[in-house]
Amino acid sequence: MTISTVTVLGANGAMGKNVSAIFASFGNAKVYMMARTLEQAEEAADQACYAVKAGAIKKNCIPVDYSVLEECVKKSDLVFESVKEDLEIKASVTRRVADCAGKETIFASGTSGLSLTALAECFPEELRKNYMGIHMFNPPYNMPLCELIATKYTDRGLYEAVWKYIKEVLRRTPVKVKDSPAFLGNRIGFQFINEAMQYADLLQDSGGIDYIDAILGPFTGRNLPPLATTDFVGLDVHKAIVDNLYENTDDYARETFRLPGYVQKRIEAGELGSKTGAGLYQTKIDVEGRKKRFVFDIQAENYREKMRYVFPFAEHMVSLLREGRYQEAFDGLVKNHSLEARLCTEFLLKYILYSLNTVYLVGENVHAADDVMAAGFNWCPPLAMIDAFSGKDRLEGLVKERLLPSRLKDMDIERLMNYVEPSEYDYRRFLRAKY
Amino acid sequence: MQKSQLFWGGGTPRVYILGGAQTDFERNWTKEGKGVIALLREVLTDALTNVNMTCDQLEELKSENRIACFVGNFIAEKYIEQGHLGALLTEAHPVFYGMPSARYEAACASGSVALDAAVTKIRAGDCDVAIVVGFELMKTVDARTGGDFLGRAAFYEREGRGIDFPFPSLFGKLADAFLEKYALKEERLMDALAKISSANYENGKRNPMAQTRKWFMNEDQARSRGSETNMMVANRLAVSDCSQVTDGAAVVVLVSERYARKQTKALPLLKGFGHRVAPMRFDKKMLESRGSEYILPWTRRAVLDAYEKSGLTVEEIDFFETHDCFTSSEFAAISAFGITEPGKEYEAVEDGRIWFHGEKPINPSGGLIGCGHPVGASGVRMMLDLYKQIAGKAGGYQVPDVKNGMMLNIGGSATTNYVFIVGRDGEM
Repeated sequence: MTISTVTVLGANGAMGKNVSAIFASFGNAKVYMMARTLEQAEEAADQACYAVKAGAIKKNCIPVDYSVLEECVKKSDLVFESVKEDLEIKASVTRRVADCAGKETIFASGTSGLSLTALAECFPEELRKNYMGIHMFNPPYNMPLCELIATKYTDRGLYEAVWKYIKEVLRRTPVKVKDSPAFLGNRIGFQFINEAMQYADLLQDSGGIDYIDAILGPFTGRNLPPLATTDFVGLDVHKAIVDNLYENTDDYARETFRLPGYVQKRIEAGELGSKTGAGLYQTKIDVEGRKKRFVFDIQAENYREKMRYVFPFAEHMVSLLREGRYQEAFDGLVKNHSLEARLCTEFLLKYILYSLNTVYLVGENVHAADDVMAAGFNWCPPLAMIDAFSGKDRLEGLVKERLLPSRLKDMDIERLMNYVEPSEYDYRRFLRAKY
Repeated sequence: MQKSQLFWGGGTPRVYILGGAQTDFERNWTKEGKGVIALLREVLTDALTNVNMTCDQLEELKSENRIACFVGNFIAEKYIEQGHLGALLTEAHPVFYGMPSARYEAACASGSVALDAAVTKIRAGDCDVAIVVGFELMKTVDARTGGDFLGRAAFYEREGRGIDFPFPSLFGKLADAFLEKYALKEERLMDALAKISSANYENGKRNPMAQTRKWFMNEDQARSRGSETNMMVANRLAVSDCSQVTDGAAVVVLVSERYARKQTKALPLLKGFGHRVAPMRFDKKMLESRGSEYILPWTRRAVLDAYEKSGLTVEEIDFFETHDCFTSSEFAAISAFGITEPGKEYEAVEDGRIWFHGEKPINPSGGLIGCGHPVGASGVRMMLDLYKQIAGKAGGYQVPDVKNGMMLNIGGSATTNYVFIVGRDGEM
């Protein structure tokens, strides 16, 4: 497949300019970067170079506004829509593209949650076969995951060819997923994060937000603790994802997608996370110019200084991980029966199980769950996490010992265990010796 | 006499490569919060797993005093404030208690000097199994501080102290020397260097352990020296001309012929080596080389030594792993290997002979620019790549049908020059 010209609609958005940069660099394609005004497009083209650290791609980034949409679409092998995450807005721009599209042009949407089937229906029937979802993660230069979503109309041959192009030319990690709420990566990742948010609410007497983050810190296989992660993503974005999942999924984890009231209140107060200066956390500079981290206290409803929790299980794990003693670190976790260690183990087990459950519904094979979590979140992927727990048999034993029987029944644990295959990822690099 | 009997100058004992492992050079161990013990534990565990060697077997070899360890590292005293690195293996695993083990150092050729010591012990009949570890943790300090540490591989008093990034500056002078000695056009040289850079990045993309496998680079970007995204480092070399600052370790396990014969599969054989030391100071190197047709005559000499010992010629070498600490050092290696005449290196760059699909591929692994350069590990990593290619285990970066490969590992400004040839054993 040769893609030499691309039009990106909404190229001045955070994803729009990053996606443009990927096509312009790895793809060496000429990219019409389209924004409402030429100034916005020009600024985005400048920033695209920095997204892939290569000024040389500037010549491939052509800033344009919507007045030349028809012309650009006609010249393009692929049109990528990255406008506001709103069905009406996306549908209206998609209809405009449909009006001038050629029969061979590939259309892709970068939507992270809307129904692609509904969007495909903006095209006349004969063009729907060329439409699919290409969902990249932010920032794509560091997060190579690319979820590729076919609708019932998508031409399978074209879908396969695009998959190959994304893998071999764009050098992404493409993962085929079904058109389903939030697709695969975000469904697994935000299940974990939102349930952690709910536990912060439940355990507000113990400290709440920073308490839960201290239990599920980088030593459990991630860059940042879960609530700090979503504070960085933006609480509004978080809400959009979990609301969608709560409304449109019906598996055993549905209740874990219910947004806690304290998060809703933060959003209403305009405190959306690091992008607005405050959210679940807040960073302040003290009189001596030092950065100080504050956290929202759910009970007191105000910000207080973030605490440094000392949990013996976490101290023990981190000191073993520092020396590369991974098995001993996990043995220590499992053998520790403090409330915090049990909670930590439970969360990791539930993460593995929900990944298996979801990948069965939405993914092509079980390794898709590993790909999305490693390449989209930089979290220890679920199958690799099973290795960290010393394999499937021990996992099964632990699950039966630790999780509530009623929950296990809903999960159909025997079925989930049948999906397990050896991971293609090495768990060691994901387990940080850090709090 | 059969040609193969020439290896190692005739009837001397042979040395084989059993296998090994390297860490993922993309990893930043400081960011992971992990230190040297984790690094050593992981790479040793992986290497011993790959060669199917159990703790019981190691204990047995140890009890018979048939095994020893050799650690290559340049300057852990600075980066991680740790010396006595041979003994440090005992912190990684108790199986190393009682095993002979020492550290070897020759700047960026530390890995090769450790290999050399291991080969010598096996040839002398002192041991059957040699575990060679090379490592460096470099991300503990910022780039400028690290550059200063590395300045100690030059004559620090004259060439390092107080100079920002001493090595880019010295290897920039090497590029200058090509312009002067062969009256090469500047544009032609700089264009060749840009091509070398982008080819190494391209090769790194096939290597799942390469540091830069997710990075973007192409010829245009490599040519845009002095731009905001490809800043000048020193003396005509920009960021794209430099190898990486890398955390990493590599292990190879070398074995005697006696041990190799017990294996079910034929093992890659060490066929030749060369080791020559040039004047420490770069200006003295240049002064001394005035009468030679080569800019780096001692590098060339080390290559010739290896050819002579192996009875092989450049025609019989199917691929090379070279020390592209800078694009200019790979450029110089082209004629040192004998791929072109000295002064004609650009030909092999322009006609694509040295690219992955070319007739004489250099750095299928991505080299120091693409795969990464944890200095003390690089020599061992190159040896591991020779092994992988010859054994057919290089996966996505396997060069087809290779019989012999050569590596060049240099320390300082091409001061210590180490060359090894590994190939299929015709007799096993």
